[in-house]
Amino acid sequence: MTVLRINGEDKHFEILPATLANLLDLMKVDAATVVAEIDGQIIKKDDFDSAKLSASQKIELIRLVGGG
Amino acid sequence: MLIERHGQTVYEKLNAATIGIAGLGGLGSNVAVALVRAGIGKLVIADFDVVEPSNLNRQNYFPDQLGEDKVKATTENLKKINPYIEIEGISVKLNPENVPTVFKACPIVAECFDVATEKKMLIETILTETKKTIVVAASGLAGLGKSNEIKTKKISDRLIMVGDSENGIEKGLSLMACRVIIAAGHQANAIVEMLIENF
Repeated sequence: MTVLRINGEDKHFEILPATLANLLDLMKVDAATVVAEIDGQIIKKDDFDSAKLSASQKIELIRLVGGG
Repeated sequence: MLIERHGQTVYEKLNAATIGIAGLGGLGSNVAVALVRAGIGKLVIADFDVVEPSNLNRQNYFPDQLGEDKVKATTENLKKINPYIEIEGISVKLNPENVPTVFKACPIVAECFDVATEKKMLIETILTETKKTIVVAASGLAGLGKSNEIKTKKISDRLIMVGDSENGIEKGLSLMACRVIIAAGHQANAIVEMLIENF
């Protein structure tokens, strides 16, 4: 079991998702409408595929919905 | 008048501030009104759109402004509130290339777009392409009621999120003045609070 801290809560994974894009797929979060931070560092949309994950990282996923 | 109300120090901090507003729809047009009334000295406002009949249910425009450029219409309306407000109006569709330049003078930018992917673009661009700019964004303000579910949340030193983060137009919910204005009020309030306490 590996742990990632996502939006302030510990989430346990049997196998750690390799990249941020894999994590979003697993969580069924639409990559087009989420802002992601890993350990306080913002990850741009183009880097979701290359952003590697490791155990104990703090991840913030801010889902955006339309309306303004 | 504002010195009498807020005190000299608060007045000076607000009057010296330059705040950016990205998008002049339901959020942006109302954030702008709140900031001008609070006494912000300068606004940089950007939008590419014109005023349409469907905007009038929640956006701070008037029937005689239909068809008018939103930057121009907002400028007129804000000048009526405070003739001394300084406004830099930029009629442009914001994109990752022009955002850092448009809001160069602004320590804080309010994200006031309608479309979720555009909201993401602005937040990502400000946080990665500028060094210090703070973004106050909004997500989850469609529908009715549930006023107290609209929150102001500090995600990091440079990102404040307003809204319930759930109720979007994607769910088929409509946008109404009451709830949109609550969110706009949260955004403006967070900005004024930061200006008075942190700068």
